[in-house]
Amino acid sequence: MKKLQSSAAAKACAILLLLISAFGAAMFGVRAVLAFQYVTEESWQSSAGYYDALERRRQELKKGIDLSYQVDELTWQIETGAAGPLAYADLEVFQEQAAQVKEHFARNNTWFRFRVVSSDGTEVLSTNLKEGEALSKVVREVQYYSFEPQAQVENGGPYDDGNGDASSKADGEKGAGAAQGGDVPQDKVWEWLGLPARLVLEYGVPEEVSLSVQDEFYHIWRTWELERTAFHEYLTGFVCMGALALAALIWVLWTSGHKSGEDGIVLTWQEKVFFDVYAAVLAAAGVFLLAAAIWAVEQVYWVHNNVWNLMSEDFEFYAGLGVMGAAGLLTGTAAAGTLLLRTLTVRVKAGVLAKTTLLCRVAAWMARTIHDFVRFLPFTWKVVLGFGVYVVLTFWLTMRGRYDGFFIMIDFFLQLVLLLFLAWWAYGYYRLRRGTKTIAGGDLEYQIDTKRMPYDLRLQAEDLNNISVGLAGAVDEKMKSERFKAELITNVSHDLKTPLTSIINYVNLLKSTGQSDPKAVEYIEVLDRKSQRLKKLTEDLVEASKASTGALSVVREKIGMGQLIDQAMGEWEEKLTDRKLTLVTTLPEGETWVYADGRHLWRVLDNLLSNCAKYAMEGTRVYLDLERGKGQVVLLVKNISREPLNVPAERLMERFVRGEESRSTEGSGLGLSIARSLTELQGGSFDLAVDGDLFKAIVTLPQAT
Amino acid sequence: MYTILICDDDRDIVSALDIYLTSEGYQTVKAYNGKEAVRAAETHEIHLILMDIMMPELDGIRATAKLREGSNVPIILLTAKSEDTDKILGLNIGADDYITKPFNPLEVIARVKSQLRRYTALGGAEKGTGLITAGPIAMDDSAKVVTVDGEPISLTPIEYNILKLLLSHPGQVFSSAQIYEQVWNDPAYGSENMVAVHIRHLREKIEINPAEPRYLKVVWGLGYKIEKGA
Repeated sequence: MKKLQSSAAAKACAILLLLISAFGAAMFGVRAVLAFQYVTEESWQSSAGYYDALERRRQELKKGIDLSYQVDELTWQIETGAAGPLAYADLEVFQEQAAQVKEHFARNNTWFRFRVVSSDGTEVLSTNLKEGEALSKVVREVQYYSFEPQAQVENGGPYDDGNGDASSKADGEKGAGAAQGGDVPQDKVWEWLGLPARLVLEYGVPEEVSLSVQDEFYHIWRTWELERTAFHEYLTGFVCMGALALAALIWVLWTSGHKSGEDGIVLTWQEKVFFDVYAAVLAAAGVFLLAAAIWAVEQVYWVHNNVWNLMSEDFEFYAGLGVMGAAGLLTGTAAAGTLLLRTLTVRVKAGVLAKTTLLCRVAAWMARTIHDFVRFLPFTWKVVLGFGVYVVLTFWLTMRGRYDGFFIMIDFFLQLVLLLFLAWWAYGYYRLRRGTKTIAGGDLEYQIDTKRMPYDLRLQAEDLNNISVGLAGAVDEKMKSERFKAELITNVSHDLKTPLTSIINYVNLLKSTGQSDPKAVEYIEVLDRKSQRLKKLTEDLVEASKASTGALSVVREKIGMGQLIDQAMGEWEEKLTDRKLTLVTTLPEGETWVYADGRHLWRVLDNLLSNCAKYAMEGTRVYLDLERGKGQVVLLVKNISREPLNVPAERLMERFVRGEESRSTEGSGLGLSIARSLTELQGGSFDLAVDGDLFKAIVTLPQAT
Repeated sequence: MYTILICDDDRDIVSALDIYLTSEGYQTVKAYNGKEAVRAAETHEIHLILMDIMMPELDGIRATAKLREGSNVPIILLTAKSEDTDKILGLNIGADDYITKPFNPLEVIARVKSQLRRYTALGGAEKGTGLITAGPIAMDDSAKVVTVDGEPISLTPIEYNILKLLLSHPGQVFSSAQIYEQVWNDPAYGSENMVAVHIRHLREKIEINPAEPRYLKVVWGLGYKIEKGA
């Protein structure tokens, strides 16, 4: 099938078949059209050709009567001696002509039957009917023609004036003829002659004609009979050929665009031309050919309807030529149509119809341009322009609407459209607002549905969606990196701990070897101190990372702050005393309860007191105040720094930051950071204040009732 | 002469522990992962096991579980993991004590001694009248003697009274004020802050590592207690 579709030979055959069958169909069609009149009419006497022939007969007969009147007049003139010198010759010619007419109308020469009677119907002047034969019985339809014979019409016989313009002479000699008549009016002459001035011609042709008399009527009848029987053949031929042509056309269209050895649709030069341009050229050619064909058929039709042509010996040949010509023109039309259909099919098959149509491209370009223009117009301009157009349109419609209800209708429709447009916008805005609210509420995964949203709102919604996606990603990323950091610190600390264990152990072993060199002893002492510090540092590091990432479990319960401070003092009092620091506590009456995790809160207090022990100036007091009120409990730890605090309070809470830059003292610099993280984990707040050398830590916790 | 199985994937730590324990007069068997430890426990007569948690092949927790199937030899876990959950898991699975890395060798020896004493000597300590015990702590109220792992410790009368109060109510938390009122027989009017100091001293005498008490525990913000069943 595929092979057949792309076979060039099959294609050529189909095209040839199409042309031939189209030509044949056209031939049969033209013939059928020509024969159609014979089928539709009941009688052959309804044809235009018949009327034409009948009219010719009538005119000839009238001329014959005119001639006979003239003969009578001339005869009278000669008898009365009023005739001119050439009257005899004229008479002879007239008599001869009259005889010819008479012969022509003889019963054995024609099927034309007539009766010429005077206008009053009393006198029969001439007839070719048999004696006692009634005209109405013989002919199919009796025609009547009332006229006044005019002898003068053909005045001036053949010998009257041999040269010069006949018509002008006739006009010129009208008066002369009257003069010849001796100033006697013609009808007067006829009156004298006993000829009626007004005659009635009754005529017709019998329905049944036969071979016996082969006049024009016989030919008309014969043609009618023949064509009538042939019509069905023509029709059958037309239908068959037409079907064949249609089949060939379908074949051509089916195979169009396929080429052997190539996949898909192959475009020819025809498809390179714009479709509408090509179609216009083909349509013009087709219309021209069709018009020519119609003209040709008309010509052939009239040729057919002229009985004298029918009677011509070469009629069949020339009529055949005419039909072939018309058929050829029609075939040309069909060819043009086929070309048009073919290229249309190929374009549709290849899916390039719109692309290769100039109008479509222009329309698409214009639509795109307008669309882009409207789209990229700044929003403000869009609103202003849109509103302007709306106002102008409404104004115009209202003005027109004063006289024409139709415009009021259109105006109403416009308002309806505007209402729908505004509703669409408002709904879009509502969706945008709802989506924004959801995203603002923290649901960063939420995506606003931008389907069927106005363009400008859609842009907004898409931007918002992008922001939310970006934000969600950033938050996710941050969480991941925080977790990763905490994990990393924990892992690193664990990995540090193992070698550190060895270091501490071997330093201890070294210590017990009993070195005699005092320097070695001192060095071992340094190693011991530093390894202990390293141990503390790794522990703090793990704790700080856990506390800041919230990887610690917090069990909050009712905790007595007074008790806790007591315990803290129990732990620290001696160490502080060793550093010559006095601890002064100020507690409110009764126990102060807070909601906190005891272990974590202890660590906070432990770190703060440890800070005091490390950094407070010796010989000063460390104040530990507890205050409560407004549902909150505030713990204040105040001390005087030994070193000037040249860092802002905020910086002190950062990791690895210590009051002095030298970092020579013990401590990891993580204590305050851990304290702050732990306080915040328990739902409290941790603040630092530095006033000169006064260092103040403020821990605020929710009071428990 | 006791044999101690040391098991850690870090050879330096094993040899350091070996030196300390040998110098203390113990025999040692070394193992470098859980499997070796289990095999060594089968082939030698082991009196105590020091075992690391994070080890290749078979980790300390699983090895402990396996060893516990057929033996009640004391096991002390050495761990770099300081999370509470690891300690609880280790103790639940059958370990007797734990030491967090980086450890102090003196603490290791103290804990080894304590465990060995409990495992061998204290196995069938007679429970006479007036003898209050909690873990390794035993108080003979009639003789006013307190022993930890059988070793007598000297306490001041106040420390003794505090310990007696806590020992007779194991698991119960006493606030400083309650302890003051019970021990001093005086209503506490802000003078209970000395209780904390006494408790700290008491802890230093009882506990191997006072910073990480096993028996006399501080319940921060609430008070003190002796661990129940310790």
